[in-house]
Amino acid sequence: MMNDPELEGLFSDPADRAVVDLLKTSRPAAPPLDPHFHNYLRAKLMTEARRMLPARASRSWLPFTLSLKTFAPAMAAVAAGFLVVVGVEIYLHGQTGGPQVACDCAAFKNKTNVGTGEPIVIPFTGPVDKTAVAESVVIEPATSVTKQWVGQNLVIIPDHPLAPNTSYSVTFKPLATPTPTPQPNPLVRQTPTPAPSPVVVHFTTVRPPVTPIVPPSYKSTNVSYSYDSRLADSGTILSATWTPAGQILATRPAGQRGPGAPTPSASATPSPTPAGPPAPKATTDVWLMSSLGTPIRILVPGGSLPAAAPSGGLIAAWQIAPGNQANLGVWDLQGVWQANLVTLSGVPDRAPVWIGQDRIAYVDQGRLHVVDLHGTQASGITLSVQQGRLAASPTSPRLAVEGTDGSVVLDLRTTGSTTSLTTGASGFAWSSKGDLAFLVPRSASTDLYVGDGQSFQKVATSPVGQSWSDLSWGPDATSLLLATSASNGSGVGPSLLLVNRDGSSPTAFGPPSTEYASPQWSPSGDLVLFTRRDEGGGRAFWTATATPSASDSAANQALAEVAKFMLARINGDGAAAQAELDDAGLAAYQAGASSLLGPAGSHFSRYYPVTVQLSTKPNAFLVGVRIFSGKNGVDTSFFEEQLTLVALGQQFSLAPQAHRYLIDAVSASPAMLLGHGPTVVSVEVVQTPPGQQVRVHFDADLKPQTVSSDTIQVKDADGKLIDAHVSFDADNHLATIAVKLRPGTYQLVVTTSVTDINGNALAQEYDAPLVIGR
Amino acid sequence: MGAPPVQSAAGAQWGALMPDGFEERELVERAKQDPDAFGALYDRYFPQIYRFAYSRVRDQSLAEDVTSEVFFKALRNIKRYTYSGHPFSSWLYQITLNAVADHYRGLHGEVDLEEGASLPSTAPAVVDEVVRRDRSRRIWAAIDQLPRQQRAAMVLKFSEDRKIDEIAHILGKSSGAVKLLLHRGVDRLRKELPQLEAELT
Repeated sequence: MMNDPELEGLFSDPADRAVVDLLKTSRPAAPPLDPHFHNYLRAKLMTEARRMLPARASRSWLPFTLSLKTFAPAMAAVAAGFLVVVGVEIYLHGQTGGPQVACDCAAFKNKTNVGTGEPIVIPFTGPVDKTAVAESVVIEPATSVTKQWVGQNLVIIPDHPLAPNTSYSVTFKPLATPTPTPQPNPLVRQTPTPAPSPVVVHFTTVRPPVTPIVPPSYKSTNVSYSYDSRLADSGTILSATWTPAGQILATRPAGQRGPGAPTPSASATPSPTPAGPPAPKATTDVWLMSSLGTPIRILVPGGSLPAAAPSGGLIAAWQIAPGNQANLGVWDLQGVWQANLVTLSGVPDRAPVWIGQDRIAYVDQGRLHVVDLHGTQASGITLSVQQGRLAASPTSPRLAVEGTDGSVVLDLRTTGSTTSLTTGASGFAWSSKGDLAFLVPRSASTDLYVGDGQSFQKVATSPVGQSWSDLSWGPDATSLLLATSASNGSGVGPSLLLVNRDGSSPTAFGPPSTEYASPQWSPSGDLVLFTRRDEGGGRAFWTATATPSASDSAANQALAEVAKFMLARINGDGAAAQAELDDAGLAAYQAGASSLLGPAGSHFSRYYPVTVQLSTKPNAFLVGVRIFSGKNGVDTSFFEEQLTLVALGQQFSLAPQAHRYLIDAVSASPAMLLGHGPTVVSVEVVQTPPGQQVRVHFDADLKPQTVSSDTIQVKDADGKLIDAHVSFDADNHLATIAVKLRPGTYQLVVTTSVTDINGNALAQEYDAPLVIGR
Repeated sequence: MGAPPVQSAAGAQWGALMPDGFEERELVERAKQDPDAFGALYDRYFPQIYRFAYSRVRDQSLAEDVTSEVFFKALRNIKRYTYSGHPFSSWLYQITLNAVADHYRGLHGEVDLEEGASLPSTAPAVVDEVVRRDRSRRIWAAIDQLPRQQRAAMVLKFSEDRKIDEIAHILGKSSGAVKLLLHRGVDRLRKELPQLEAELT
């Protein structure tokens, strides 16, 4: 019996012994384990441990008799998991003849694929003054971080995701001091310790996995299910919805740990606590999470059923209040309370609904209410709504309501103006272009209707025995995702279906063998959030990556030509580069519009596309590329080119994607030195009818007060300033400029008054063309 | 030269990375004051606690919740932990059992099978499944169907290799009672799985 005397003595019957032997020689299958769970829980525990336990940072608890050579890699392996390990060669013991504490960084130097959301782990081979080392770290571009020690590894966790496509440097300034030598002999003259030189480690973050905008050629009808992943903290998510910036608003059980979470004793108290009776115990909180499900911060303690404002920046949610009441409040995405709109008796059962930027609809006591952001009733409409749903158009102040007496579309521009919908209409979904889709359940099937908000037509009917639900428009408004399930009790689980706006080409989305429901397309179209039934019977939130069809993407073809062009330039292959130019493009380079192979004495090291825009010309794209020059693998400067690509063979009646694109024109910006303040990483123009949003991503954490309409401007072709509203999302280094532009070419200007959190200004003004297409 | 391979949590042998000769008791004492030491304890015991939690709840998400609760409870209470002659893991197993019990107490309609109860009515289906699967999985699937206390004792003994005294400490029972649980468990397996018994004999 496997040499176990306990079992030998316990089981004497041969039949029992046979069972015991089988048990001892077999093991249960390893349980399924999310590979990120160990590290995620560890990070949460360590945060809590550091809060509770007095860390002895000045001296390691490790016994010094340990073999550092064997122990450090082991702990590094423990700590690393899925983390990024950035090696650094740094010597902190300056004593003559003393051991040098170091880590060989040769294998890691100038790493070029560091994830934007991953902590940076810097291993050390021996005890160091942890406090001093941590304090000596400077990261550029300016980035607010949290530093933790895990054994001999310094773990640097960016408070926000790093900017993609960006070269970062981690500098250890000479503050670092060696661990004091135990019991120094006062009779021995100490050798002066040479001041250590700053040590700098460079690394570059990854390109985003997909273009972070909906490119002009994106067609949701052509996407396919690529792969899926379970949200990192799915087990604690009760409900989830996207924000316009592509983060997740989640309702979670109260008391979850995470950034900004109150202490357990305080978590039950919603804030701000109104005067009067003590606040009731919260059961849920509202959290902001990354698209991977990583908690970013708690937004509304005691909150539930959040809704994000269409332009981002604000959310509305219910928050419990004393006396079995609930407040409808507004918070920003930093979790700062902005306003309390109304207080109701009882706890609402559905989320409020934003109508534009300044009104919110909700249901109380079976009646529909609309209030402005001061809490003033903003509509004289009286409508009875019991269990029905609400949905607001993103393009006009219209509200689809499943009323007690039937479903209608309310036009809030003219009080009382309603459009009746087909009897039984429910499950409303408005597209980004103002189309309304809804479902009408029949006895054995479901009808799908689509219309412009005033007139509607049935575009599809589910097969008999199948019911449809959970409509979600693709971000380009050309297709819908929906959940299908068996309505005849066959037990067939739900799955997802992708269907064109006109009801054609229904296509299964995702593997058929797994049960999916509640799809929600992300604002950028690259992810779908959905729920999936686990083996244990529970529901968990997952995201699937939606991959556009490359063969049908004209923009992708143009970008592919740009990639060939840039690769040739980086390799110094002038002939191959010229093969991507048409006559006009070649003439432009020869005339000095830009340098084809790099200025004298330098060479191009890397590039990435900054923008992809439809040109005002037919079958033409304007591609902005950022090109870096460097030495010894380190980027030193960059400039930008605006490349105009036109399709060959326009005279033929071929589809645009059948053309080959060549570079027809170029303009270049002056070179900018890196390491001299924040820079713009990318510019996107997003159609948000009736206007547009210009989204400007920076590479550094900025001072929010320096991001305004005074420092980020849009000008027309005559240089005249365009009216614009600028908002700033500090988490994502993202400035959003809301404008209403007619088709044409405009200029984006980011002035040097924008500064990072350390006060460093943009080294140079940043200008970029904005093309508003047809 | 590329970066070293990144080690996933799933593949890491966390517990095996603790250096030899490092006294558990010393580590626990340090963990009362030093977050890094607590982290080392976590790394050492995470695999077995997660495995044990999963064996009790058979649901990944729930096992994650239970594991999370176990270690947070351990962190909050570690200053009160005193060495009682049993491994530190015994304390963690106790917390795990309590956390699982709390979960089941919160579920209406959950039936806690008593020691004398027979296997649930799904036993024939389980047996059918057992016959179909491979040898090892058959018997562990059958253990999943044992009454709660028997299952805990069987898992701790045959999967986690705990000593009977330690299992008794974890379950709050006498060593004799644990031996009885193991005996009944093995006996139940042998009697309720005729196909398996036939194969074995």
